[in-house]
Amino acid sequence: MQLSIEPNNGIPIYEQLVRQIKYAVAEGILVPGQVIPSVRDMAKQLTVNPNTVQRAYFQLQNEEVLQSLRGRGVAVCEGAKKQCVVDRQQLLAERLAAVLDEAIRGGLDEVRLRTMFEKGLKNAIQTGDKQS
Amino acid sequence: MSEVISVNNVSKRYGKKTVLDKVSMNVPSGVVFALLGENGAGKSTLIRSMLGYMKLNSGSISVCGMDPLKQPLELRRRVGYVSDAPSLYEWMTVAQAGWYVSGFYPEGFLKSYGKRINEFQLPHDTKIRDLSKGMRAKVALSLAMSFDPELLILDEPTSGLDPLVRRSFLESMIDRAAAGQTVFLSSHQIHEVERVADWIAILHQGQLQIVAPLEELKSSVTMLDLSLRDPLLALPNEMDQVKVLHRSQTGRTLHMMVRGFTPVIENALSNHSNLFEIKAMRPNLEELYLGFTQPFDSNQASDSQGPSSKKPNQSEVA
Repeated sequence: MQLSIEPNNGIPIYEQLVRQIKYAVAEGILVPGQVIPSVRDMAKQLTVNPNTVQRAYFQLQNEEVLQSLRGRGVAVCEGAKKQCVVDRQQLLAERLAAVLDEAIRGGLDEVRLRTMFEKGLKNAIQTGDKQS
Repeated sequence: MSEVISVNNVSKRYGKKTVLDKVSMNVPSGVVFALLGENGAGKSTLIRSMLGYMKLNSGSISVCGMDPLKQPLELRRRVGYVSDAPSLYEWMTVAQAGWYVSGFYPEGFLKSYGKRINEFQLPHDTKIRDLSKGMRAKVALSLAMSFDPELLILDEPTSGLDPLVRRSFLESMIDRAAAGQTVFLSSHQIHEVERVADWIAILHQGQLQIVAPLEELKSSVTMLDLSLRDPLLALPNEMDQVKVLHRSQTGRTLHMMVRGFTPVIENALSNHSNLFEIKAMRPNLEELYLGFTQPFDSNQASDSQGPSSKKPNQSEVA
């Protein structure tokens, strides 16, 4: 699992960590039952404050993505994948909404926006096909 | 949460120059606390005062519940310190330096020191004078950490070090924090601080600008870019509810760093005729740092006296 944190991109570090772990679960990079690095190891690996990692893990435990295995660390919950897929879609929808909002405020009309969207979508599907 | 360091109304002058001007702050236990400030802001003076290296002109400092001037020895048993230019005996080998310093601390020091020296991949038998800057820094850090201090004070720990050495310094700090110990560092490596610190303080020309948990500070402050149709008109009334920390203007765009900006205010602004674009962003640490240390834009002649300055007369609003 390769995570990367950008401290100055406006999204809190713990939130970036939460998202990336959810994405990793959604994509099947992390599988249910898999033990993830301890707070200390993760903090060292990412060179971020351990309290920040703790906060992210805590939130992921509350959302039942991670669970604490007594004495053996923290692992991905059974059934976490479904929730993570939903959460990822939610995040994507939010990002899409933000882009649309920017476009509308930038004065783009619906027709041009739709053309751009269709074109972008077509490209993305083609690239996706080539890769798979 | 108890305080590890408590600084109360501290002032320090060198001759006529005031280096620290009524500085007060508390460092909670178990955090990574970063002190930011430009060269000459007073960071090192404050750190040296915490260790009892100098007398204050007024105010008091308590570190681990002790007065640094009255209990310097006891303080050094509990506080690890790495200065920006660590002084080591040049003729000693790395191993000898550890053996020498171990005499001042309880048993276990040497074993822990040896472990760290190995982790840092330092040669045991090389003389200090033959070490590179990065290696010397690692020796100094090893010496400061090997008695498991409850507080580690680092004065510009990573300045002038290569990325690999910096990385191991940061990892060591993270390790301390993960073990529940407190780390206090001064730095102007803003990007590093942004990763590892939970608390920050900004010192500027001897005065403390802010002390706050970093995440809380970032979420309470908003960077605003307001594009105005007519820059001479006053801002909408709603802006009176926010506290302006910094403002500057380029052409028709007003850049502001404010506290207390809410979606309600944003909504009200977006309906205002004189504003045609509003960008609200969360600041990163660099922007916060600049906002708290730069003077207000001098172009803003009438209302640029300071963070508390009021906006122009509301009746001007169209």
